[in-house]
Amino acid sequence: MGEVTKTPDGEFLPGTLDMLVLKALSRGEMHGYGIAQFIQRASDEVLRVEEGALYPALHRLEVRGWLKSAWGVSDNNRRAKYYRLSALGRREFERETEFWNRVASAVTRVLRAV
Amino acid sequence: MSSRRHRLVSLRARLGRLLFRTRLDRDLDDEFAFHLAMKEAEHRRHGADARQASREARRQFGNVASLKEQSRAMWTFPSLESFMQDIRYALRTLRRSPGFTIVAVLALALGIGANSAIFSLVDAVLLRGVPYQHGDRLVVLIGNVQRTAVERRGNSFPDHADWRAQASSFDDMAAYTTLTLTLETGGDPQPITAEAVSAPYFALLSVAPAAGRAFRPEEDEVADRDAVVMLSDQLWRRQFGADPAIVGRDLQLGSRRYSVVGVMPAGFTGVTDSADVWVPFAMSGTPLANRGNRGFFTLARLKTGVSIGQAQTEMTAIARRLEAVYAATNEKRGVEVTTLSQLVYGNLGGSVLALMAAVVFVLLIACANVANLLISRAESRHTEMAVRTALGAGRARLLRQLITESCVLAVIGAVAGLALAKLALLTLVSSSPISLPTFSQPELNLTVVLFTIGATGFCGLVLGLVPAFRVRASRVADALRSSRGSTGGASRSARGALVVAEVALTVVLLIGAGLMIRTVRNLSAVEPGFDASGILTLNVTVPRLPQPPAMPAPVPAAPGALATPPGPPPFVTTAADLIDRVKSVPGVTDVSLVTDVPLSGGGSAIFYGAEGDTTTGAQTAPRAYVHSITPEFFQTLRVPFRAGRTFELPEISGASTAVIVSEPLVTRFWPNQNPIGKRIKPGGPTSTAPWMTIVGVVPQLKYRGLPNNPTADPDIFRPLVDRGGYGMIVRTGGDPAAIEAPVRSAIRQAAVGLVVSGVTPLRRLVESQTAQPRFTSWVLGVFAAAALTLAVIGIYGVMSYLVSQRRREFGIRLALGASTRTIVALVLKHGVKMVMIGVAIGAAAAAALVRLIATMLFDVQMTDPAPFIAVGILAVVAIIACAIPAVRAARTNPATISGTE
Repeated sequence: MGEVTKTPDGEFLPGTLDMLVLKALSRGEMHGYGIAQFIQRASDEVLRVEEGALYPALHRLEVRGWLKSAWGVSDNNRRAKYYRLSALGRREFERETEFWNRVASAVTRVLRAV
Repeated sequence: MSSRRHRLVSLRARLGRLLFRTRLDRDLDDEFAFHLAMKEAEHRRHGADARQASREARRQFGNVASLKEQSRAMWTFPSLESFMQDIRYALRTLRRSPGFTIVAVLALALGIGANSAIFSLVDAVLLRGVPYQHGDRLVVLIGNVQRTAVERRGNSFPDHADWRAQASSFDDMAAYTTLTLTLETGGDPQPITAEAVSAPYFALLSVAPAAGRAFRPEEDEVADRDAVVMLSDQLWRRQFGADPAIVGRDLQLGSRRYSVVGVMPAGFTGVTDSADVWVPFAMSGTPLANRGNRGFFTLARLKTGVSIGQAQTEMTAIARRLEAVYAATNEKRGVEVTTLSQLVYGNLGGSVLALMAAVVFVLLIACANVANLLISRAESRHTEMAVRTALGAGRARLLRQLITESCVLAVIGAVAGLALAKLALLTLVSSSPISLPTFSQPELNLTVVLFTIGATGFCGLVLGLVPAFRVRASRVADALRSSRGSTGGASRSARGALVVAEVALTVVLLIGAGLMIRTVRNLSAVEPGFDASGILTLNVTVPRLPQPPAMPAPVPAAPGALATPPGPPPFVTTAADLIDRVKSVPGVTDVSLVTDVPLSGGGSAIFYGAEGDTTTGAQTAPRAYVHSITPEFFQTLRVPFRAGRTFELPEISGASTAVIVSEPLVTRFWPNQNPIGKRIKPGGPTSTAPWMTIVGVVPQLKYRGLPNNPTADPDIFRPLVDRGGYGMIVRTGGDPAAIEAPVRSAIRQAAVGLVVSGVTPLRRLVESQTAQPRFTSWVLGVFAAAALTLAVIGIYGVMSYLVSQRRREFGIRLALGASTRTIVALVLKHGVKMVMIGVAIGAAAAAALVRLIATMLFDVQMTDPAPFIAVGILAVVAIIACAIPAVRAARTNPATISGTE
């Protein structure tokens, strides 16, 4: 449970949330709220990340060793937990992106077939 | 909603801080708080006011508690973490319903406490066994004789010596017997118990003296030569102030001075659990060279790997060899090999096991009641469970939660139960009419605590599983749809099964208790043949006057230096003087002396021949127990004469040939004849002893045991002449205990050096004969009553519940014109069916289990009404418990029903 990224009108593919989190962090370190904001904005508000899914995902990835975290101070001077990719996480991100692209293009090909 | 959730969060946080507030918790709080703050700010940017923003942020965030739970599960050892959480949660839930918790804990505490108490008896009697190293290999060899039945007789020293030389099954053997000696201390002489033991005794028991030495083999060789003594720790402390220089000192035991050679360690009282001192076996007065004089037992230790059966086979072979060589003394003589624990605990084990079985039943009934409560709770918590499932708690997690809850209950119950067991043990031990050996006192030791933990775990698991099955069976969606909770057929049949089980268990207990109570009633109805009320019994030891010529030199005589005088000096007082003095005590109506007080375990048997008898031979010589009495004996005990009279003055002498016998003796040899003037003589038919003439016949007394004498041998009474010790029976019109002090002082005034011991009302000796069955039936009765109470509460609870579930149905039926009688009948039918099934199962189980207590029953027929009455009571009470809810159901007002839906 919680591995589901929701679109406004329903569920999305399981496992994609991890990939989107890794993508967000591939650009630099971020706190949880920032990651949610990034995904929402980058998807043109199509993908909205539920907190109930995001934090378990973050903690799971951290336990797995793909993310590292540190406490820092946010732009508005509040204590916040910042996540960044570990070397392991970066490799995993590349593998998942590659896998996703393959699957996505395959699905697209199927849909376009006459 | 939000404030409630907030309360929940803060409550959880507070509890968390209380138990183990971790950094992780704080981090999670901070991280979520930051997120919420950012969200709130975002909403306010979009124009919401502060309250709206906060509410919206929280709504979107979802369940913080559940999120934290998930994260914490990832970070920590999830099982331990959630286990602690389950316990915290369970404690909180239990605190929220104190009524349920108190009832459940009380039931479990009673069940578990009673189990721990009885188990500590099992531990003391059956598990711990005798407290010696290799105790399981210690056996006792007891000589027996094959007559119409095999009878225990004891051993003779030559036999013992031959066994020791020939048998290869044993590490070693030691002869032992007990004596009563008089300890002269300068003040009042004290009767003390000595174990006379041969040298290997202490090594066999693996007990070494705490000071000094044990006996040497050469001290077993010559009778009455080596006057050496070992002291018990208790006597050493009580009498000699724990004098460290005691070894080597002398002490006066009766007429001999003994040299103290050792002190035994604290707690050691010998295998007879009675010894104040130990003397060499050769000092016991047992003739060391007479093969036919049998009386003592032999302690032996099996070699490692030798079974008791192998030892028995070897000893029987040796007995046959001795029979071939010494036909005159050893014909039909065998040896019984029995374990020391069997000898010490006897049939106590059976009683204790029966009690254990009974108390397990009580626990099962208590569990059934608590399970029943838990089912009700599980149903009322249906919605809670459904919500938790919806919030992401796994089904396995919920099961674990329920089991944790019942385990927490069971643990609280067990702690209370152990405290209860401690109390129960004190009462059990102090009020118990059966006496356990001093080394086998029941206690709450590690074994008992482990047993309690096991019982607790069992209860927790069973109790958790019952409602857990309900959770499994229920569908979350159903539960959420109907706030009333679903009460499917599964629950109803589970409750029905509980009722049936409770009734069945109770029936077994009631039948067992009924049979035991009937046994006790039968036992107390047994007439001993004498009137024991108002009788005080005691023993007097009478020393002889000092040797007239030889005022012994102040230097103590060396062992063996005692010269045998031509004739022993007279006793310090006479039987007649003792009787006169005690008779003058106010309140005393009759006094008599006898060699052995009835039911005191004394007495000895002789073979006899009857004049003109041709039916018996050397092998079948009749046997009788001989007692010497003063003429007032039968008057004192209120025993009527069947024929003849008591002894008269000229007959009271050592040379008298007058004899009084009990009835079976004369009906055996002279049926339908006047027995007065018939003659018997001691020894076999070929004996040269003089004939003795029967002057009186009395009924057969239960002189040696109740409800029956151990053997059917009759009694022979002869006139008592002056001797070194008497049993005394004193009759008073009032309470025998009240005359103890004046009787003692009257005896003390008779002469210096008299020792009074074993002062006991005869009534107590009678009662001690039936102590074990009385104890068993008392405890069993308490358990049965507890079971009955629990079962009735359980039945009432279940029936009330079932009725409450069907109120709507009843309301509709009533509205449709059903009579109240129909409704009552409907409910009763259901209840009576369950009770009857339970009674049937219980009765069948009882019939199978009655074997367990068969040996404890006395004169109880299988058609005895007692158990039927007991079960009848149960049935009536159970049906009343069904009827009350039934009547309430019938009074249901149809109008109120629709309102509750």
